[in-house]
Amino acid sequence: MRTSQFMAPAVLAAAALALSGCSAASGDGASDGPVTIEYWAWGTSQKPLVDAWNASHPDIQVKHTDAGGGSDSSAKLVTATRAGNAPDVALVEYNTLPAMIVAGVAIDISDQISDLSDDFAPGVWSQATFDGTSYGVPQDAGPQALTYNKARFDELGIDVPTTWAEFADAAQKVHDADPDTYITTFAPAEFGGFAGFAQQAGAEWWSVDGDEWTVNFDDEKSVAVADYWQDLIDRDLVLAEPLLTPEWNAELNDGKVLSWPAGLWAAGVLNGVAGDMAGDWAMAPLPQWTEGESAVAFQGGSAAVVTSSSKHVEAAAEFASWMATADEALKIQIREGQYPASLQGQELTLESDPPTFMPQQDDYWKIAAEIAANTIPEISWGPNVNVASTAFQDAMSAAVTDGTPLRDALTKTEKVVVDDMESEGFTVTAE
Amino acid sequence: MTVDVRTQTPRLRRSKPARRWAVPYAFLTPAGVLFVVFLAIPILYALYLSFRAMKVTGGGPFGVREETWAGFENYIATFTDSEFLAGFGRLAIYGVIAVPVTLGLALLFALLLDLPRVRAARFSRVAIFIPYAVPGVIASLLWGFLYLPSTSPLNWVLNNLGIPDVEVLTGGALFPAVANIAIWGGVGFNMIIIYTSLRGIPNEMHEAARIDGASEWDIALRIKIPLVAPALVLTGLFSLIGTLQVYGEPMTLRPMTNEISQTWVPLMKIYRDAFARDDLSLAAASSVVLALGTLVVSIVLLRITQKQAFGEGQ
Repeated sequence: MRTSQFMAPAVLAAAALALSGCSAASGDGASDGPVTIEYWAWGTSQKPLVDAWNASHPDIQVKHTDAGGGSDSSAKLVTATRAGNAPDVALVEYNTLPAMIVAGVAIDISDQISDLSDDFAPGVWSQATFDGTSYGVPQDAGPQALTYNKARFDELGIDVPTTWAEFADAAQKVHDADPDTYITTFAPAEFGGFAGFAQQAGAEWWSVDGDEWTVNFDDEKSVAVADYWQDLIDRDLVLAEPLLTPEWNAELNDGKVLSWPAGLWAAGVLNGVAGDMAGDWAMAPLPQWTEGESAVAFQGGSAAVVTSSSKHVEAAAEFASWMATADEALKIQIREGQYPASLQGQELTLESDPPTFMPQQDDYWKIAAEIAANTIPEISWGPNVNVASTAFQDAMSAAVTDGTPLRDALTKTEKVVVDDMESEGFTVTAE
Repeated sequence: MTVDVRTQTPRLRRSKPARRWAVPYAFLTPAGVLFVVFLAIPILYALYLSFRAMKVTGGGPFGVREETWAGFENYIATFTDSEFLAGFGRLAIYGVIAVPVTLGLALLFALLLDLPRVRAARFSRVAIFIPYAVPGVIASLLWGFLYLPSTSPLNWVLNNLGIPDVEVLTGGALFPAVANIAIWGGVGFNMIIIYTSLRGIPNEMHEAARIDGASEWDIALRIKIPLVAPALVLTGLFSLIGTLQVYGEPMTLRPMTNEISQTWVPLMKIYRDAFARDDLSLAAASSVVLALGTLVVSIVLLRITQKQAFGEGQ
């Protein structure tokens, strides 16, 4: 799940709602009688989840607050934790979770949830469990896939690419057929997307041995990924512009942008900005760097954590587990377009209808399950992903604007990340 | 009644001198409390924060961050951050466009509205002022849609005439495009201040000038403009401070273009440090620098213009 910062009007409206809801957000659970816990989460599935829980659990009542999308919510969690009044449970994106641990937001809940580990694929479980210590229950997952405009692909006679080399050829074909049409967008500010492509190629931006960190943003593999996109930009085969702007949405609706390699949540996002195109689009596995391979990385996805401010850790952990594993909760997730993180949830999708945006694609969930079964295990995010993503966004955007090499932007990002970790007191080596 | 007051007043003065002495302070208390709670304490807290830093302690790969003393570390980081300094450079370009155009248009409109026999004055005044009532974020979204090629009505017209798109949010047009939003919103407010000042000029002056054969142009240039100089200084100061605090417009336009970085202007960098990077201390230090800078610039501007504008000083 992922709320884009670009959907400014929607976000503003949500913020206004959140603000107007603030005044009511005070009452705390008394020690006797039913316990009340607070839960911060964004996205359309959260309110139905909370309503369903409250209906079946009279002793533990949950109060839901939408505190904004992933990064907004995390920023507020840090501040609220320092003030000692963070909510009991909060949804946190996988790549921000380490930062939440360092900031003292998420607490160790291994004792409460350790028996759940078999319910998740190891690659998913490892997103919230580090060195055997669990900090959250994975709720949804966003393995990368290729969401594409099938109607236009068919019209132009283009086969769905299975490797990135084929993708580049397809890009050329699209552009030859219509110079105003592009196979996709390279959005320089999409940190998560690029990180996924690089991880798929085998890059490890952060790695840790004991408490010694190694940071490597400009390794061969990441540089090769940067050079790949550089080449497509230089040949004017992809649009180098931000995603989900009014401009991009218009191009998408006009059939001038034909695909979006992104997390499985892409179908839901596209439905929001191009709902009239439902039925024209389809989903396929992400192209591979090496022919015959099938691994992909995650882009997005989040876990429910229990915060250090919580006075009801047991109840909070129970609620977090329920959302990720109970049949009732999983069905709500699927209905609202979330791809569940738990194996049981992923099995349940096979009995479900395809998402609203691609009603014709009967094998949608089958393909999704195959993709999810092949995610790269053990991706480690560093403690300062927030610093990395801001540095990456500015460096990449500047590279695209100034026409300087994208690979240099990776080197720049690495320097910022290493300097930040050093000044905070981590033991870190740059490679 | 009068008798009562007369008999009471001396008694009060004699028996409770302390109470009389306390009265002005009692009246000042609400303002004083508000000042201390909402201004003085936050400023002191920001100063305190600017000398702190979060450092990692404890074992494990992640550790836990704790606050410690940092000395001048944050100030050194602020002054050696090339992006923060570059932000002031971008601010200068923006200011050079926004301030003179805003003030120039405001003065022009005010003078036009002040002409004798002007028509539809009330309507024009309101029409020019209305953009000021539109919140900055909404104005930026509105202009953003007008700027983007696919949603721009201008480009729709151009395309139908066979002329290629005009790209506004890229290249050299970016600064005028951002400044334009502030100008659109700011002209009306500044116009009202200048116009009010113009209405305060006694009519005799205009009459005298007309009898002496001065044209409307001469009256505007030689009488009106010098007499509204204090209003011009005031609006100039507001515009300058407004420029140093530019944030909403570029922040709202940022998702629409690759060219506006997260550190495009100083306040955006402060926001990023505080909320995207969770470095409140660095943000506090940068804020202190920005606030002191604003103060110094304001004082310098006032010193320079005071003499001419207000006829004060030696």
